[in-house]
Amino acid sequence: MYELYEFDWSSIPGALPFLWQGMVVSLEITFVAVVFGIVWGTALAIMRLSSVTPLSWFAAGYVNLFRSVPLVMVLLWFFLIIPHLLESLLGFPRGTDMRLGSAIAGFALFEAAYYSEIIRAGIQSVPKGQMAAANALGMNYRQAMQRVVLPQAFRNMVPLLLTQGIILFQDTSLVYVSALADFFGAAYKVGDRDGRLVEMLLFAGAVYFVICFAASQWVRHFQKKLKTA
Amino acid sequence: MISIDNVSKHYGSFQVLADCTTQVSKGEVIVVCGPSGSGKSTLIKCVNGLEPFQKGEITVNGVSVGDPKTNLSKLRSHVGMVFQNFELFPHMSIIDNLRIAQLKVLGRGMDEATEKGFKLLDRVGLRVQAEKYPGQLSGGQQQRVAIARALAMDPICMLFDEPTSALDPEMVNEVLDVMTELAKEGMTMMCVTHEMGFARRVANRVIFMDQGRIVEDDSKDAFFEHARSERAQQFLAKILHH
Repeated sequence: MYELYEFDWSSIPGALPFLWQGMVVSLEITFVAVVFGIVWGTALAIMRLSSVTPLSWFAAGYVNLFRSVPLVMVLLWFFLIIPHLLESLLGFPRGTDMRLGSAIAGFALFEAAYYSEIIRAGIQSVPKGQMAAANALGMNYRQAMQRVVLPQAFRNMVPLLLTQGIILFQDTSLVYVSALADFFGAAYKVGDRDGRLVEMLLFAGAVYFVICFAASQWVRHFQKKLKTA
Repeated sequence: MISIDNVSKHYGSFQVLADCTTQVSKGEVIVVCGPSGSGKSTLIKCVNGLEPFQKGEITVNGVSVGDPKTNLSKLRSHVGMVFQNFELFPHMSIIDNLRIAQLKVLGRGMDEATEKGFKLLDRVGLRVQAEKYPGQLSGGQQQRVAIARALAMDPICMLFDEPTSALDPEMVNEVLDVMTELAKEGMTMMCVTHEMGFARRVANRVIFMDQGRIVEDDSKDAFFEHARSERAQQFLAKILHH
């Protein structure tokens, strides 16, 4: 006969401070990866659209490489390979904990490939005449990009960039492969320790859902405001 | 002022411009007309190097446009250009549209750029719109702002690429009036336009293009009274009959 599973949520309250620490790690990775991803993604998008063939090939190769491998694998490369490289190249002491740094670097480089595609589409959504008009006024390529094209491109892209940020926040849970205690990792550890894995994973899922759903509703609202402005 | 010498351009095997030669002297107003696809817009965009060309030479004030050593940005900064679709910067207010290139290209100070901007907005009758955004203005108003934006750079000549083609008919005149005034003040102008009334009133010379060639290049009176080529006669017959 089945025995109905009996939920026991009692281990959650005591674990909240530890879970909060995990959430801080998750948010930290998300924030830094979004910022670096957008900066590097912008550079990649500009390279990709450049008429200098080696630059556009490099950017295309980079984007295609990172979009064709699983994120979890990229993270593992960074956990396993980069620390060794740094140890041998820069003489870092053995066993330095670089998991957080590796995770951030892995996410930023991976997400930059996705951001660059969003940004490239954004740049291409700005009418060609805008670049021509800026050039006709004597602005060089850099000035025209910086003052005229990119501000309009980013305005069109904000909702997509934010949405990608929400996806990235969910993806940070993949750092569990390095035993780094992000929010998901922390929940898993507590659940494992107390033998209450089901409850903890349900709770963690609920937290992710609430945060991501609220954020995407806010993006929608923001998008409407942008349209009417 | 502007010298176009044997200029040819092609996209692949398609010839867009074929051996175009003409001169524009200081203070002259030239109207360039012709059927669509005749290369008139391309020709005018070659003058400030927005369109590259493969053969021939164009000089503006003695500076060669096609020479790779030429600082094109510098040359463009004093060749004003007005586009068919206005191309104001939609994310900037009107006054910022007039200031941005003065500040970033000419290196003028904020006060000077602002003063100049307001003066030119006054001139095109749009001072009260200074703080608005391009999207809040009518087409005719936007095109007047675009002319003011070009004038803010103190250009030595002005290029107009079908400045009234995208406008509702009732807004055409407010733009042509600004252009007429500019011509009277002695601005050197090269205008691609179908506005034959404007050509009659203001132009010194009319250039007629067909299939990438300059077919007629004559004084205004000679062009309107006895266009030599059959193609130009047909064009005039069509365009003047409505």
